[in-house]
Amino acid sequence: MSPNTHPAILSVGRALPPHHVDADTLIAALSTYWARKHFNVDRLAGIHRAAQVGGRHLALPLAEYAALDSFGKCNDAFIRVGAEIGEEAVRSGLAAAGLSPADVDHLWFVTVTGISTPSLDAKLANRLGLKPGVKRTPVFGLGCMAGAAGVARASDVLRAFPGEVAVMLSVELCSLTLQRDDASITNVVATGLFGDGAAAVVMAGGARFDGAPVPRVPRIQATRSVLYPETEWVMGWDVVDTGLKVVLSAKVPEVVEAHVGEDVDAFLAEHGLARGDVRHWIAHTGGPKVLEAFRRGLGLPEAAVERSWRSLREIGNLSSASVLFVLGDLLESGEARPGDVGVLAAMGPGFSAELVLLRW
Amino acid sequence: MTDREAFVAGEIVRIAREELKVEEPPAPGDSLAAKLDSMSLLALVVAVEDRFHVILTEDDAARTQTLEDLARLVASRAPEDRLLAAAPPGASP
Repeated sequence: MSPNTHPAILSVGRALPPHHVDADTLIAALSTYWARKHFNVDRLAGIHRAAQVGGRHLALPLAEYAALDSFGKCNDAFIRVGAEIGEEAVRSGLAAAGLSPADVDHLWFVTVTGISTPSLDAKLANRLGLKPGVKRTPVFGLGCMAGAAGVARASDVLRAFPGEVAVMLSVELCSLTLQRDDASITNVVATGLFGDGAAAVVMAGGARFDGAPVPRVPRIQATRSVLYPETEWVMGWDVVDTGLKVVLSAKVPEVVEAHVGEDVDAFLAEHGLARGDVRHWIAHTGGPKVLEAFRRGLGLPEAAVERSWRSLREIGNLSSASVLFVLGDLLESGEARPGDVGVLAAMGPGFSAELVLLRW
Repeated sequence: MTDREAFVAGEIVRIAREELKVEEPPAPGDSLAAKLDSMSLLALVVAVEDRFHVILTEDDAARTQTLEDLARLVASRAPEDRLLAAAPPGASP
């Protein structure tokens, strides 16, 4: 297959909820809850700050979280706000790609922070005015990896239908999963790390460009999924009466560092490439320790993952949307040149990883 | 260890086993960092602060290697009412 017959990523629309809070403001608010269960609140503030997230956008104004005392209320907010920022992300992505809602043949929707039936993509199809024949694929449960995995699976479909257009939307409202009565260290780490946002990747099959000028966009040359046996306990949700309670092992960075090098090497080697051929590393902003484990596991200089670090500091870990925000930032930077190779990588519950090989 | 330190050490082991679900809590001479992952160790320190109403600093952490070290430090700082055989009602603040 010649390079230009591979599916292309045309744009990444992004949307953040309007309610931004800096770390100090959030810590002050959370301290009220922490003080009910812990003696040394300053320690918890330190754990929160260790995530190095300077601020984040929240689905709701901070004062409204106190009223979210049930899973139902949190999930209602997820559906309402998710539809709003999901629509904004898709419209932004389509506009950047020069396409309209009527051009969309496939709508993929990934999330791990709320549920609905019909799934949010049905609501969005109506709000956006997508054609009735749009093929919808909602995916729940891949966690932080779902942005990369969604792009990979959508590219599989576009290889089968090379004249079609797919939108892969991630909506994650992590703040709505906060378990206020869970003052465990894991929950404190999670509240320090995660933020809210949506990203929509607009993709087109290779045949869309037949006879047309080929834009300077990345093509998806290949993808690889990796599931690490017997690591289901590393991260995920416990579904409790009050919603989704985070499971997050201290082993996550260890697992990443132990495997990422050999997995990436094997993937690249299948395509006649090596680490040194990769100019753009688009890494999931898992957190300071995960990002550092990724960098060390691949033997990369700090500058190679600086874009991910910046995203983490500015808006936090947006779960599956995070790596797509980093990708969108790279696309709009204009840094990529024709012939450049990139690897988009994300890890998530399973424990598992998804790798996407890009070539401009 | 003094009786007071031994009591604190016993409480730390109980907290590790019962509250934090650590299957093999550290013995008095065990290195805490070797027996517990970073998240569990942090959770244990927070739980110890809650139980004994002490604040453990980074300097404390630097000179606290074993469970015995931690028990000595906590025993030297904890208010008397926190060293009763039974934790005061609501071990948390």
